Amino acid sequence: MSTTDLVGILVTTFILGSIYGLVAIGMTLIYGALRILDMSQGSMVMIGSFVGWGVLVVAGWNPFVAILLAFAATFLLGTFTQLVSVQPLMKRRHEIDFEMLTFITTFAVAIVFTNLALEIFGPQQRNVTFVISGGINVYHGVNLPYQSLAMAVVSIVLMAALGVFLARTRWGMAIRAVAQDLDAARLMGVPVGKLYPLTMGLASALAGIAGVFLGGLYFASPQAGDQPLLIALIVVIFGGLGSLPGTVYAAYAIGLIQATAEVLVGTTWALPILYAVILLVLIVRPQGLMGKPSEARL
Amino acid sequence: MTTPILAVTDLWAGYGRAPVIRGLEVAVAPGEVAVIIGPNGHGKTTFLRAVSGLLKPSRGEVLLDGEPVQGRAPEYVSRLGLVHVPQGDGLFAEMTVEENLLMGAFPASSWRARRRALARAYELFPGVRDRARQRARTLSGGERRLTALARGLMRPSRIMLIDEPSLGLAPVAIDTVYEAIAELKASSTTILLVEENFTHVGGIADAVHIVEMGVIVRSGSFDDLSRDPTVVGTYLGSL
Amino acid sequence: MSARQRLFPSMTPARWTWVAVLVVLVAAFPLANRDQYVLTVIVTALVLLVLNTSWNFVLGVAGVWNFGQLAIYALGGYGAGILMLHTPLPPWLAVLGGGVIAAVISVLLAFPTLRLYGIYTSLLTFAFAEIVQYVIINDGSGLTGGSFGFPTVPGLYSSLSPDASMRAYYWTVLGVVVASTVSLAAVNRSHLGIAIRAVRDAPAYTAARGINPLRYRVIAFAISGFLAGIAGGLYISFNQSISPSAMGLTPMSIDVTMLVIGGLGTVFGPLIGTALLTIVQTSLVDHPGIELTILGTFLLIVVVFVPGGLVGLIARTRNRVAAWAAEDEVAAAGDEASAGTGAAPDAAVAVGEAGAAAAQDTAGEDETAEMRRRSS
Repeated sequence: MSTTDLVGILVTTFILGSIYGLVAIGMTLIYGALRILDMSQGSMVMIGSFVGWGVLVVAGWNPFVAILLAFAATFLLGTFTQLVSVQPLMKRRHEIDFEMLTFITTFAVAIVFTNLALEIFGPQQRNVTFVISGGINVYHGVNLPYQSLAMAVVSIVLMAALGVFLARTRWGMAIRAVAQDLDAARLMGVPVGKLYPLTMGLASALAGIAGVFLGGLYFASPQAGDQPLLIALIVVIFGGLGSLPGTVYAAYAIGLIQATAEVLVGTTWALPILYAVILLVLIVRPQGLMGKPSEARL
Repeated sequence: MTTPILAVTDLWAGYGRAPVIRGLEVAVAPGEVAVIIGPNGHGKTTFLRAVSGLLKPSRGEVLLDGEPVQGRAPEYVSRLGLVHVPQGDGLFAEMTVEENLLMGAFPASSWRARRRALARAYELFPGVRDRARQRARTLSGGERRLTALARGLMRPSRIMLIDEPSLGLAPVAIDTVYEAIAELKASSTTILLVEENFTHVGGIADAVHIVEMGVIVRSGSFDDLSRDPTVVGTYLGSL
Repeated sequence: MSARQRLFPSMTPARWTWVAVLVVLVAAFPLANRDQYVLTVIVTALVLLVLNTSWNFVLGVAGVWNFGQLAIYALGGYGAGILMLHTPLPPWLAVLGGGVIAAVISVLLAFPTLRLYGIYTSLLTFAFAEIVQYVIINDGSGLTGGSFGFPTVPGLYSSLSPDASMRAYYWTVLGVVVASTVSLAAVNRSHLGIAIRAVRDAPAYTAARGINPLRYRVIAFAISGFLAGIAGGLYISFNQSISPSAMGLTPMSIDVTMLVIGGLGTVFGPLIGTALLTIVQTSLVDHPGIELTILGTFLLIVVVFVPGGLVGLIARTRNRVAAWAAEDEVAAAGDEASAGTGAAPDAAVAVGEAGAAAAQDTAGEDETAEMRRRSS
């Protein structure tokens, strides 16, 4: 492997890892606060990529509008998803297999969104072209496009903003409180009936913005939500369900593994290698980097 | 009597199909410190959970300052001024002491109001202030209880429910906790406290109720009950 | 014979007759209707039903979040195909061989799942399935045919005419469906089935009672794996080939929807779910987007409002009807009795309750009592 390859891997890791982090961090947030695996996150990415296409290609407006609209659209859809597929089961959460049923209901919502998009837009892949062109030549022949750099930077800024929100604001603290001890949080007066949909809306909105970026890097299509969902699951398990710092580290780790695999064995095998990695993690250390062993193992 | 802060009538509650509380009735007057004593498993914790809304009663009425709150969500009941310090403190383990306290003031939407409440709590509990930046899970048992009590003060309360404050603590720590509760009593907080251990409540209890099999079987003042030989023999062991 | 001694206590002679009539009607269908398209749809659905029955067993009865079942099914099919092409085994034995291969792989998968909580198991099995699919798609060695599909195999009835062959497959798969449904229902009722469900419902309690969870999970995986492999073998025989598109996220979503809508863990759930969704699918075959949107909505509504699936809904409706009918009896008995002593209405209520209880399909408390009785 040459130095060019190495630098290329680092650049790809930086870009992919940042965007993967944005997709996965919502999932971890939802798991921490609601104790569910939200399988509709992938479709939020897909919706975001279509918003990106609509704004940048069809309307010709600038990327900021795309980001804002994607945020708004997926925030609303995420809130709606929670109210429709999770909230009705919340009341019975102790009588039923809550985790599995919400797995299925959020998955059902994903199926609906994906296939509505399929009916409306058709299966073809659409390019999402950004306005920014050009890039930096990082090393001999390794080009870092400004557009990708901007995506990575925005992703990092958003993840940091989420961290600040959770650490310093009243509602951010409330979300953390609910994640740590639901009963105690309710005794403090936290209105969980409002907090749950808002949390899912926020998480979905982050995934939606990531969708704008992934659409720009690849393309927008109704099926384009499947892979981000699987990557998000891999990242979240690798990092440890419920741990935000773990998710961030894992995102870059997964980005690194994917980038390295692409160089060494080609793109086709990169994804199966990721699956093999996660298979190994689940057998050997299911709680991932920073999760709690008691939550993963019986 | 003036309107009791808390009036519970014919309360039935439990888990699954077995009721743990079977027709419990009790009233707490404003400014009073009422203590419920009873062996484990007879409904003390279940009772507090049914009052604060964590558990939905199957029958009965709970009036908070005259307003019915039975079966309402705990978020709602707490905003009406009911503070429940749960068994095992209910602190947020990964948050710092100060964050825990601030969570206690959650319903207050203004930052300034929360900071003011914080200052007041620190004044009453200087030991807690010293540990402000420590994570809750690194505190000792007694420090956790004090923090939980301080957190209970962070918002205006009509009544404070305290569940077994001495549970799992060393005797010295228990003394500190009860000193703090005595301070709360001195500042006219209405308290409903449940304990298994009778020994420490003498100094603060205005009324003592004994619970057995989910109902109150005896009520009286601490002095009366501690002189009654049957009560002492059956429930209180040696004093 | 008392209810306790019969293998299927809730199956009265009347119900057995209904089932027999249904089976006979379904079996007679190809004699009446020669439309090859319709028959193909039904046979495909029947093969899927075998798979779903196996999946229902591991997912619903054993309670394991196994999302790798499609890969096991496909591996059974590929295994059977390899045996048909490269060994002198007769096709029947090759199909059985596919079942055995699938059972072995399934058992291997069982071990790591044992120590993991639900969602982690789902990801483990899903990752396994994805890897299998990828490996097959990118297989350049010619063994599996890669993404082009397996080379043509003769199948079970290549010597017959297309019409006769179609009917032969129809009856064969129908036979497998009936045999597997009955035998799995019998397993469900047996000591084995009770143990498996006990491990699902109360793992700590059963472990404390000395029941080895690993043993029963392995058995559950072996049974469901074998059946899935048979389904795969039947698939490759009927279609004379198999490709990686038999696995993957979309077929899995559809299958899971069938199971959940029918009723996870019940005997007739897979049947109702598979039948219903096959009808929806065939009517909307030209509009996959709308079809799946409807499926997804169905799934959501069923899980939220009727978690027991359609079987649960039917059972509950029957209970309500029975209780309502029993109330009439009580009222009538009460009227008669009020002329006599006051004690009679209570007895009549007891009759009504017993009637309602007898109408229930799944008697959970019966089973726990059964388990305690057998293990003491």
